[in-house]
Amino acid sequence: MLESIVSYGLAVGAVYALIGITYNVMFSASRVFSFTAGMLGMLGGVLGALFINKWGLNAALGFVLVLVCGAVLGLVTEVLTVRPVLKSIEQHLYVLSTLAFALMVQQVTAIEFGTEAQPFPLLIPIDANSIMGIVDQKFWLPVLACIITIAGLEFLYRRTLIGRAFLAIAEDSYAARALGLPETRLRLASYAIAGIIGTLAGFTGAQMLLAFFGNQSILNFYGFVPVALGGMGSNRGAVIGGLALGLFQQAANFLVGGIFAAVAVFAVFIVVLLLRPEGLAGAAAARRV
Amino acid sequence: MSIARRPLKRRQVLSGSAAGAVTLASGFAAPAIANTEPIKIGYLPALTGPSSSTGIGINRGTQLAVDEINNAGGINGRKIELIVRDTQSDPTKAVNAVAELTQRAKASVIWGPLNSGEALAATPLIARDKVPMLHPCWVDELIDVKKYPMAFRIAPTNTQVGKGANHYVVNVLKLKKVAVVSDTTGYGTASVNTYVPMLKAMGAEVVYTNHVDAANPDLKPELLRMQSAGAQAIMPWSVNAGFLSRILNTRGAMGWDVPVVGQTTLGSGQTKALLDKPENWNKVYSNNFRNCCYVSGKLPPRAAEYVERLKKAKIEFGDTLLWWVALGWDGAQMMGETLKAVGPKAEDIVAYWNKVKGWPGIYGTVTWTPDQHNGFPDEEVVMCEVNSLKDGAFNIAPGYAS
Repeated sequence: MLESIVSYGLAVGAVYALIGITYNVMFSASRVFSFTAGMLGMLGGVLGALFINKWGLNAALGFVLVLVCGAVLGLVTEVLTVRPVLKSIEQHLYVLSTLAFALMVQQVTAIEFGTEAQPFPLLIPIDANSIMGIVDQKFWLPVLACIITIAGLEFLYRRTLIGRAFLAIAEDSYAARALGLPETRLRLASYAIAGIIGTLAGFTGAQMLLAFFGNQSILNFYGFVPVALGGMGSNRGAVIGGLALGLFQQAANFLVGGIFAAVAVFAVFIVVLLLRPEGLAGAAAARRV
Repeated sequence: MSIARRPLKRRQVLSGSAAGAVTLASGFAAPAIANTEPIKIGYLPALTGPSSSTGIGINRGTQLAVDEINNAGGINGRKIELIVRDTQSDPTKAVNAVAELTQRAKASVIWGPLNSGEALAATPLIARDKVPMLHPCWVDELIDVKKYPMAFRIAPTNTQVGKGANHYVVNVLKLKKVAVVSDTTGYGTASVNTYVPMLKAMGAEVVYTNHVDAANPDLKPELLRMQSAGAQAIMPWSVNAGFLSRILNTRGAMGWDVPVVGQTTLGSGQTKALLDKPENWNKVYSNNFRNCCYVSGKLPPRAAEYVERLKKAKIEFGDTLLWWVALGWDGAQMMGETLKAVGPKAEDIVAYWNKVKGWPGIYGTVTWTPDQHNGFPDEEVVMCEVNSLKDGAFNIAPGYAS
């Protein structure tokens, strides 16, 4: 039982964390919560199955293509759904525009790909009896993806000039622009990175979650929980929140089961937000008056 | 001379156009239908979209029957004209098509919609337009002789489907401890809520019941609970292939050889594609229909003869299901025979159908009365072995008296 809770919990939690990071990367660049994060996760699985299973591409090429598609979709999201509403951000129109775009993509996926869950290929041919095969790749792939992503982002943000430019935009876009930083291009790049991370989450988690258009709403929601738990914009918070959510969800699944597992997750979510509205890792926002 | 222009009022425009419409209608009144004109059947299959696999199968049988009737001289010298409107698996499109078929095309009878979702939207409208309707959808509420006196069903209801599965577990396999689970959809929860009391009334002990989120990737906790509750059979009610395959894969990984008995999706190609190993499909029994199942390797005589006809007409059925094709043929054949016997008047068709008794279809034996427009007999709903698909049909599940 414990083994199952840990393996499934960490794997699902890593997918949630990656979707949470996807939200965060888009939020940092634009102050917009783009509800296309779940869509990217869903497409990671669906496009992977399409490229590898249906088109017969090899796994590595399929993987790269999926990430390219993710980046392109990130750019399209920024141009079509975020940029036009940025001027009136206080009206929160981005909720409508990003959600509408995500739903449109989901419907097209359902029509073109089908409404049934479809199998996702085994990505790495590992002998089940070898040391590498002890833990199923469907469990460690998302965890590995999560580790690589968080390490990559830390490196980008802390060690590179362009990463610091991202942070500057996130901190104060007006000041950053005044210093001559190309805000629009940096925002576009952030959305492309978010697209890559979102599809990476879906691709590495698809052996477990299958290639299914309906995963969008689940990932949209469960991916948002770690953001709220961990503090908006905090990637470390999202990872901790995501893994905790996965483990708790799986434990609840064992202990109470059925729909009550979901109720337990929501209950804890609400309690945490009541106690710490700024999130577990977030700092209370200071408002200039 | 000046003409004072007064703006037209909305009411004037409306009355003007109404008068125009009356003039047009009276001017072009339809002539009395000559006896050689085709009889129109409005047909609402979903040939595209997510629910189209059923429609495509049924369509092959329907087209064959109509061709057979027309090639044999039609209905007393008049051809059948099938007016096909693809609903695209979309209830809104089905509703629009109904208006066209009943009001503009003046169809004598409507065949379909073939999917419950579209039928739920279309049935009240077809009833309002007073056109006889024949459909093969399973949702119980679609037949109500008071609300829809002209609607008839040529297939089993969901209740009959559940009853067939319950009968197999309790009376054929003689298993008394049953676990019943569903996903959290309306269909899943309604099925569990309907079938659990039926099982209990049959003397079975429902040792575990739950509604499970179909997106949950790990169903081991659920199956462990079923196992520790002593379940001898699992009955999952869901049309979600992902959910069903996870149950079967988890059962396989646990090495538990408990039979799984339930809805037709258990035996679908989508479920098969998601299995970790082909053996996970062993001891899985899904709903099917006695007339379209192999018994000791052979189809019943009616179906065997029909398959020969399909082969002769070069109708492909290996890539679909025999019972879908047979159902399509039965529907069109039933309408053809009715029109031949009583002609295209709505009330005559309904009166004829109200007296149909033991009509020997390929798919099922149909009996209707004025109070009961569900025509399918309980005993023809059986279970089949899902891993035995050959030429579109399955072996009947073990244990039935032949």
